Amino acid sequence: MKRISILTGMAILLFSTLLWGADRIHIDIQARQFKKLNVAVPSFVGPPDLVASVWDICSKDLAVSGVFSLIDPQSYIDQGPMKEIGAGTLKDWILIGADYVIAGQVDRQGATVSFSVQVVELSTAKILLNTVYTTNADSVYRGVHAFMDAFIGKAVGIEGMFSSKIISIQKKGTKKQLYGSWCDGTGGKAIQGGGDLVLNPAWSPDGKKIAFVSYWRNNPDLYILDLSTYKVGTVSNEKGINSTPCFDRTGDKIACTLSIDGNPEIYMLDLKKKNHLRLTNSWATDTSPSLAPDGRSLVFCSSRAGTPQIYVLDIPSKKVERITFAGTYNTEPVFSPNGDLIAFTHLAQDRRFHIAIIRVDGSRMSVLKGTGAGDESPTFSPDGRLIAFACSDGNIYITDIFDTMSVRITTGGGFTEPSWSSVIR
Amino acid sequence: MIKLHKGIFLIIVLSLVFFISGCAKKGVEQVEEITPPETGATTEAPSMEIEMPESEEGVEVAAGATIEEEIANFQDRDIYFDFDKFNLSPEARKALAEKASFLNAHPEIKIKIEGHCDERGTREYNLALGERRAKSAQDYLIFLGINPTRTSTITYGEERPVDPEHNEAAWTKNRRAHFVVLVK
Repeated sequence: MKRISILTGMAILLFSTLLWGADRIHIDIQARQFKKLNVAVPSFVGPPDLVASVWDICSKDLAVSGVFSLIDPQSYIDQGPMKEIGAGTLKDWILIGADYVIAGQVDRQGATVSFSVQVVELSTAKILLNTVYTTNADSVYRGVHAFMDAFIGKAVGIEGMFSSKIISIQKKGTKKQLYGSWCDGTGGKAIQGGGDLVLNPAWSPDGKKIAFVSYWRNNPDLYILDLSTYKVGTVSNEKGINSTPCFDRTGDKIACTLSIDGNPEIYMLDLKKKNHLRLTNSWATDTSPSLAPDGRSLVFCSSRAGTPQIYVLDIPSKKVERITFAGTYNTEPVFSPNGDLIAFTHLAQDRRFHIAIIRVDGSRMSVLKGTGAGDESPTFSPDGRLIAFACSDGNIYITDIFDTMSVRITTGGGFTEPSWSSVIR
Repeated sequence: MIKLHKGIFLIIVLSLVFFISGCAKKGVEQVEEITPPETGATTEAPSMEIEMPESEEGVEVAAGATIEEEIANFQDRDIYFDFDKFNLSPEARKALAEKASFLNAHPEIKIKIEGHCDERGTREYNLALGERRAKSAQDYLIFLGINPTRTSTITYGEERPVDPEHNEAAWTKNRRAHFVVLVK
């Protein structure tokens, strides 16, 4: 009898290990077993200022890619600038452990800049990419990011996400304003005119508008900034809070928090019909909705069980299901662009806030190491591999869902609440 | 007996002095800025700290206070909450009862109640929590008979800490409802 139970136990253990393993494989192929690819980027040929800025964008893109790792230029055997890789020098790059070498030339002619770039794949000794990117001199970033998108696509088959932006809130003195940069942190600048206290920024799906909270009229109200005209329109200024906007995939609706009916509940604003529909009904605090990519469900935070936890709401039926049970403080959930994962802020056992991820069905929660200094406000990259978040040191960092890195993209501090755009072409 | 009475009287006076001066220093976004009437109080303050519960009696003693002093008192006294909570403690209810009697005595006054949080929670959640705190205070004032039209609420979440430090003492002070007199 004893032997049978031991055998059964072993069988269950083996079976569950197999199941666990089987289920993890499709993530792990991309990730935990994936060694970052080493990329050498010798200096480009061209005007020094331009070369420096293009090289800087390339290196920052590699740093946030989650796939590539820049080899320290100090270790390059030939440290001079180069616009192409000579066939005879390949062994020099292999020797320092490079998987790819990027060489190129930058030219400025009037108001245009051209970036002629060549990527050599050392495992095959072939030219992976050989393209010229031409942009306006004031948007060099666009050309370099288009190149990096093509590079990551050709090298590992991932759709590039470098041509996307991150908007956050920047504290300047006693004021808080919108701040936007490319997702690698380059080209950052403040967007003024939203009032003295701006919070909860969120991108429209086409990357042309930003919804946000401002205390312009001495109440937390919702506004939309149109980035093509820089005009701001009021979206919701109901009595009480109007906060945590999240666009649906059409850009015509915004899920948000309103307290017009007495306490904070989740509502759907229809921007065209100019009405709002209440989705939750609880005595507790319901906030931070994030819509699934198909728009049929949303994830939100509620304190209805006594502590803030994450819930998924099926919009047609308004049925609510709790998905987090670990910990006493789980807030700010966001849906991944693929709709399979939810990232949120979790008060972990070390008594610090960490970014955590969980599947939509509530399984496989994992707490990311992150900076370890207190991380909050997660936002997914358009390809769903990366997560930007705000650290308690006042800077924005990028990690990946496999927890392999923590790359700072801002300097100086004062930054909170990042929101990652779609790819902007 | 007489000596003892003198002692109690001294404690009440000193705690009142400490109360007025101590609170005026941490005033935030006051509509009226009132300078503390006494200056020598700071040296006595540390030893008087344990006598703080007496300060309610101190307020009673200040019956002859001017309207400006009364408003300063009203605005300077925040009520405090536990982490992630918006229920009212017995001390908070006591403070609100005093605020209600002040409002009853001055029916022309309208107030705004600000709900605040400490930095530890997350921003989005704290924005909602701050509103719950302001509403708790408002609901209790209404329960005590204050006309709802005389009160309004606003949440600042964790955006307006009264103490910018990152420690328990600061957090305790920052989890608060703050009261602002709008119309005199």
